[in-house]
Amino acid sequence: MQNFASAMLAAFIISILAAASPVCDTLLDPASITVLKESVSLDKIPSPVSFIRMEKLQRSGTYRSNKLSGQIPGLHIPEYGASLTSTIYLRGLGSRMENPVMGVYLDGIPILDKNAYDFDWTGIRNITMLRGPQGTLYGRNSMGGVLAIQSLSPSDNAESTVFLEYGSSAFLRAGTYFTVGNNVISAGYRHSRGYFPNDYKQEFCDPYDGVSLHWKHERPLSDRFHLRNTLWTSLSKEGGFAYGQWTDGVLRPVSYNDEGSYRRLSLIEGTTLRWSGEAFLADAAASIQVLADDMRMDQDYTPAPVFTLRQRQFSGAGTVEVRFRRADAKASWQPSTGIFAFYKLNHMRAPVTFRQEGIRRLILDNANSHIPSEIGYLAIPDTEIPVDSDFLIGTGNAALFHESVFRTGKWQFIAGVRLDYEHGRLDYDCLASLHYRFVPTMKADKPFSVPFTGVRNHRKAEALPKLSALYQVNEPFSVYSTISKGYRAGGFNTQIFSDILQNLTMNGLMKDLGVYLDRPIVSVSAGNTEYQPESAWNFETGTRYLKGDLHIELSAYYIAVLNQQLTVFPPGMNTGRMMTNAGKSRSIGSEAEAEWTPGAFRAHVAWSWCDARFLRYDDGNRDYSGNYVPYVPRHTFYAGAGYSFILDRCRVETDVAGKGEGPILWNEENTLREPFHLRFEGRIALVFPKWELYLRGENLLGSTAHCFYFKSVGNEFFARIRPRTIITGLSLKI
Amino acid sequence: MKTKFFLAAAMATLIFSCGENTPEAPLVPEESDYTGTVTVIYQGSPFNNENISVNFSPSDEGKTASITLHQIRFVPQMPVTIDVTILGIALQSSKEKIILSCERTIPLAMGGEYPRYTVTDLKGEIVGKSLSFSLNFGDYPTSFSGQGNR
Repeated sequence: MQNFASAMLAAFIISILAAASPVCDTLLDPASITVLKESVSLDKIPSPVSFIRMEKLQRSGTYRSNKLSGQIPGLHIPEYGASLTSTIYLRGLGSRMENPVMGVYLDGIPILDKNAYDFDWTGIRNITMLRGPQGTLYGRNSMGGVLAIQSLSPSDNAESTVFLEYGSSAFLRAGTYFTVGNNVISAGYRHSRGYFPNDYKQEFCDPYDGVSLHWKHERPLSDRFHLRNTLWTSLSKEGGFAYGQWTDGVLRPVSYNDEGSYRRLSLIEGTTLRWSGEAFLADAAASIQVLADDMRMDQDYTPAPVFTLRQRQFSGAGTVEVRFRRADAKASWQPSTGIFAFYKLNHMRAPVTFRQEGIRRLILDNANSHIPSEIGYLAIPDTEIPVDSDFLIGTGNAALFHESVFRTGKWQFIAGVRLDYEHGRLDYDCLASLHYRFVPTMKADKPFSVPFTGVRNHRKAEALPKLSALYQVNEPFSVYSTISKGYRAGGFNTQIFSDILQNLTMNGLMKDLGVYLDRPIVSVSAGNTEYQPESAWNFETGTRYLKGDLHIELSAYYIAVLNQQLTVFPPGMNTGRMMTNAGKSRSIGSEAEAEWTPGAFRAHVAWSWCDARFLRYDDGNRDYSGNYVPYVPRHTFYAGAGYSFILDRCRVETDVAGKGEGPILWNEENTLREPFHLRFEGRIALVFPKWELYLRGENLLGSTAHCFYFKSVGNEFFARIRPRTIITGLSLKI
Repeated sequence: MKTKFFLAAAMATLIFSCGENTPEAPLVPEESDYTGTVTVIYQGSPFNNENISVNFSPSDEGKTASITLHQIRFVPQMPVTIDVTILGIALQSSKEKIILSCERTIPLAMGGEYPRYTVTDLKGEIVGKSLSFSLNFGDYPTSFSGQGNR
């Protein structure tokens, strides 16, 4: 009788939880593993794991990856620039430019282009974040971790839903997801008029309009075959680059004259086919990815007409992976072997246009400062000088990987290695054209142009091993240690070509004149624009407590980063910076995460501490060895709690959270510091069986903290975090 | 057969012996690069520009030539070096040398005429592989002496 009563009580609690979670996930839910490559369940993965379910994503208004900042210990994705920015910092790793340190997977398909990382999620079932290098199974650009996004499946039987949100800054977000047979379709639209006014143009600089569409088809083809197809496309048009100039210790309003905008069309089509045999399972996944975007940027971010960049890309990529693992999940030896390959071709056109002030300040003043006035001076009559850059970048990667899991008693050992080969090829075709006159000797303007064409190649092979041991102390409690290596791919500094062209033009023009400077204008050459992969060894130990509604993760790590990709000042007089393998750093840190969901109450705490310092870093101007790695928050913190109760015919949900990050050092000199800042958010919802009305607020106290800093043409700029926003929403189940 | 051979040999001997007896023709000026030292008299003291490349380029008729001095500096404080081209230099060839002369011309530099360094009283000669000349570049007495590069 007592057992029966206990069973009834348990069933009651489960039913309440299930009612609160229309699509119920747990850490042990085997369905959640389908988007990951691990052969073990989430609770046996020897890395810290963060797992966020659909309803929590909805409650916290997390519909983009940057909203995960803080909710996942150590993850910092500052929201600035535009959707292509997606700068990710994790465990002291990360940089403003080029390849990311975190892999993003959508329904098991890797998103290859960082420019496509930031998209609106609708109909997401859960997200899983594995922290620490995951290179053995996931390969390139996963040295900080992997974020796996899993969308709703037809088998989830999620109720068809329509939602509409409206709020501050004319924010409007509408969407729907519904199941039709073996298909789940979701669509979303987002609009905002922008959050930061551009004083010069007297309009908001960061309006946004975007739509996304997702179609997922999943069904068994036979007893042995299971098919899953995911199509995700998004189209957006937005402003951005809300950067205000920092002068005399005061942040000025955003004020620039040229266009700052970003348009993007991205499409990911991926198919996964599973074959379940008696002895082993085979998963084959292939995808096609297309991205077309167009970015316009006022590169000086001032009201003066100095210089602008327009960058248009059209890239296409294909990925394929085949993985075999043992069918008997209970066997003591679980081998997993696979091959992976991708090829990506990107056609990028990135003309920089020097306008009147730019021609005067960056070109003429520069050149004439070297020419004695008694000889004469250089004049350029053009109002604009285009520096055209046309790139064709091909990247190919092939990998063979194996991971074996051995279980004996309370022990679990994992050993694995990935052999990864990557080839990159850059075809560049650049041209700078102008007219000039040397006064007083030349009586007429003379056309002058500098073509710059060529091909660069790089090849690199990497071995990415992994060793781990996990000991299950008792049912809820386990400890683990892992040694693993990850790497971030190498590439080409396309953004420095305008500087190369600028300097080639100056040197060519002086040679055309027959004037030679004692200190010639030097610059990097195309050969210097290649940078090699960055790799990191991660030594980690952690514990996991998982019992019922309580989940606790604690971990500590040491990461040694080799061939660190760092932005440096190129030699000579340049406007930009470039990526090079200039340094070596180390990160020491610890992370903690706890989630407790006892029925109507819920609490989630996430915290990280990271001490990331350069062991060696000389940018050509100064030696920063020993300094903190900039842009990396020393701490990230999130604490949220919620309570649901029944009021009359509805359930009332209340949630509050505080999150923050810092201190952050903005420069390599470590002289500019952003203190830790805490922001508060909250939500109250009235939940009826068929509809839900809610009010959500973010940055409720109106913090004006900075989220980004940079220098351009000698000026300093900051971006602020978004101001206070209040959003009301209505969700209908149909 | 032997008769034909001796006749041919006799003709060849005759032709070469006739050449030796003809008076030597004047030298034909040819385009050439020279490397040497440009000396500028600056405030009464010589200022040497070592390893200066000078291009000598005669006109098609061989009556005039231009000389381009590459990357020269007129005064030590000059922070740049410049290319200077002197046009319209008169040539007078003899069998031993080619004599260069120009009373006055405005040189070309920095994309056009550069009257500040007007050339006066240019005198020089090409003897064998050597080129030497002197002139005034504006107020600066200047000379060059160098050897041909081929």
